[in-house]
Amino acid sequence: MSVVTEVSPDGQKLTISVKGRFDFGRHQEFRESYERLNRKPDSIVVDLKDATYLDSSALGMLLLLRDHAGGDNSDVRVVNSNSDVRKILAISNFDKLFDIS
Amino acid sequence: MQAQEPLTILIAEDSAADRLLLSTIVRRQGHEVLTAANGAEALEVFRRQTPHLVLMDAMMPVMDGFEAARQIKVLAGETLVPIIFLTSLTESEALARCLEAGGDDFLAKPYNQVILAAKIKAMDRLRRLQATVLQQRDLIAKHHDYLLNEQRVAKAVFDKVAHSGCLSAPNIRYLQSPYALFNGDLLLAAYTPAGDMHVLLGDFTGHGLPAAVGAMPLAEVFYGMTAKGYGLAETLREMNAKLKRILPVDMFCCATMLCLSFQRRTVEVWNGGMPDGYLHRIATGERLPLAARHLPLGVLSPQAFDDRTEVQAMAVGDRVFLLSDGVIDTTDADDRLFGVERLQQLFAANREPDNLFAEIEQALHAFRGEPRDDVSMVEISLLEATQVVPSTPVYSDSGQSCPLDWSVSFEFRGATLKRFNPLPYLLQLLQEVHGLRTQGGAIYSVLAELYSNALEHGVLGLDSSLKRDAAGFASYYQQRNARLEALQDGYVRVHLQVKPQGAGGCLVIRVEDSGKGFDVARVMERPLDDVRLSGRGVSLIRQLGHNASWSDEGRSACVEFFWEVKA
Amino acid sequence: MTDQHVDREVLDALREVMEDSYPDLLDTFLTDSESRLHQLQKTADAKVLAEVAHSFKGSASNMGAVRLATLCQELEADAKGKSPAEIVKLVADISSEFADVRPIYEDERQHALTH
Repeated sequence: MSVVTEVSPDGQKLTISVKGRFDFGRHQEFRESYERLNRKPDSIVVDLKDATYLDSSALGMLLLLRDHAGGDNSDVRVVNSNSDVRKILAISNFDKLFDIS
Repeated sequence: MQAQEPLTILIAEDSAADRLLLSTIVRRQGHEVLTAANGAEALEVFRRQTPHLVLMDAMMPVMDGFEAARQIKVLAGETLVPIIFLTSLTESEALARCLEAGGDDFLAKPYNQVILAAKIKAMDRLRRLQATVLQQRDLIAKHHDYLLNEQRVAKAVFDKVAHSGCLSAPNIRYLQSPYALFNGDLLLAAYTPAGDMHVLLGDFTGHGLPAAVGAMPLAEVFYGMTAKGYGLAETLREMNAKLKRILPVDMFCCATMLCLSFQRRTVEVWNGGMPDGYLHRIATGERLPLAARHLPLGVLSPQAFDDRTEVQAMAVGDRVFLLSDGVIDTTDADDRLFGVERLQQLFAANREPDNLFAEIEQALHAFRGEPRDDVSMVEISLLEATQVVPSTPVYSDSGQSCPLDWSVSFEFRGATLKRFNPLPYLLQLLQEVHGLRTQGGAIYSVLAELYSNALEHGVLGLDSSLKRDAAGFASYYQQRNARLEALQDGYVRVHLQVKPQGAGGCLVIRVEDSGKGFDVARVMERPLDDVRLSGRGVSLIRQLGHNASWSDEGRSACVEFFWEVKA
Repeated sequence: MTDQHVDREVLDALREVMEDSYPDLLDTFLTDSESRLHQLQKTADAKVLAEVAHSFKGSASNMGAVRLATLCQELEADAKGKSPAEIVKLVADISSEFADVRPIYEDERQHALTH
């Protein structure tokens, strides 16, 4: 599975890890990882430690996630991006919407 | 267990008794039976009646079962007609022969009814599966054809919308695949009423029709607002709002938009999510990167949208170069990226600016071997203002009922000055006077100059001498944005008066501001054709309009336009 | 108890499948067999012998004439390798076997027609 989820014991934090290529093929899995939860988490972390590549459909998926999590009121963090992924996120200025580290 | 559907089954068997027995068994199982006594007959019957399934004796006179089977398979083509060999052959070699000849199964003698029924059922399942596969393949092919046709239609419609622009202007060079649209790439260019040029290079997420569909509303906003004289910020705000409203959440459009002013020798830039553009200064050879400082269009709500632009000074001959990420992302046979470094190397190696385009194209081709269809590049040069000839707009009304004797006054205060650009509206008003239409460009330029002077130097108190060099330029515009953001009080008044005069008429424009004014005498002393970066506004006004004058210590400016009605 | 010449169970099954056409089947078999026998007696060509024996074997086994089928199998298998004398003997055996089973089939036919 290239999208792995983990919910904290108190149900407050959802961590979604994406491995390999984060592209259109991941669309279904990614959506299901946050849509199916019984309780909406307060914060979401997208861990890209093992993600090798990110394209514009991945950016679109992040937007969908943010929208689902409350839009401007959401708390979504994108962590452990490698330098290539970071560059893509920088050009698209997504650090204005997400906490990126 | 599902009931077996009746089939038409051909029994090819030379022994009459066996043939009779088998026919009876098969008929009893509910099928229609055709018979043949040898291979040649079997072929003949097959040709005429096209049975669903064949029971074929291996050893027959005239033409044996193997040959008949081979020929029947050829006749059947794509359709699966299962052939079950009837054989008392026991040697495995003989059985292998059956399969090689195209047989799908075999039934041993003496015939066992139960086994026969089971085999017929299994073969029929296979037969129907094959038929489904072919049917679906044909359906898919048909749908694919529809899709291609729809795309062709969409492209034709879009081409009409897209080509209301000025991409063929002498100062624009571009490279774009004819199918760029279906990769989400968009290139638009149009003149403003003042003779400035707006250019947009966009890249929609996704491919195919979804990407193309967003391009049309965007193009309409771009062309509509540019033609009316709206600036970059307002047009961007409108485009963003439109896309945010109509596109799904995960779709957006990366874009770089420019306003190139030949009069003021500036380029105003907004880059949301596109790769770096470059401003090439011919005199120094410097290539200034124009990096993305904004999110793409269609992501932020109108309230959160950031329309702040950056302004750079340009000299005649300087160029702005924009490219889509198809260039950087071009890969070679080993999946290596062309990358920014290679592009920079090309820039450094380029000796003749006019050849840059071709050099990049060649390098991409050599790198990849085949062209990508989402590579878009555009290069816009700054020409002398006199070399730029925008086409005159066409009007559809007859002019019988235009207003010739009227006046109007506006006062734009405080917060309104921050967000509202009255120029397109004012121009629209003045276009109602037919006699003024041919001077629309000049009037707009003068109005824009007067208004911006009133706002920037008057209300905001910015010092125009800051604009003497490139660094000062950037600083000037940063200050402008900051002070505008913080503005609370102040006003700009615009008075327009139209009066008939002789065979034509006269337009008087007066613009006043709440600022401190300036030393009118000193500014008037400067020669008219000054080409310094600052202070050109006044020259412009004096050159394009008539009887330009300043009063109230520079806080009030007045200029006139005349027209004559031709007989 | 099965007859060593004809398998009665096969006949029962045939009767059940063919119903009213059972007599036809028996007729056809007898006619076919006579013609095949004739061919075997007439020819000396090993290939033809093998083919006819093969065909005869097939219908014999379908009709439950097990011994007849076995004999035909023997002839088919070794037609090339046998001497003319051996072939003549085998064909005679086949002819004799057929003569033995023939009344059984004729009986069946009679029985079916009258019941």
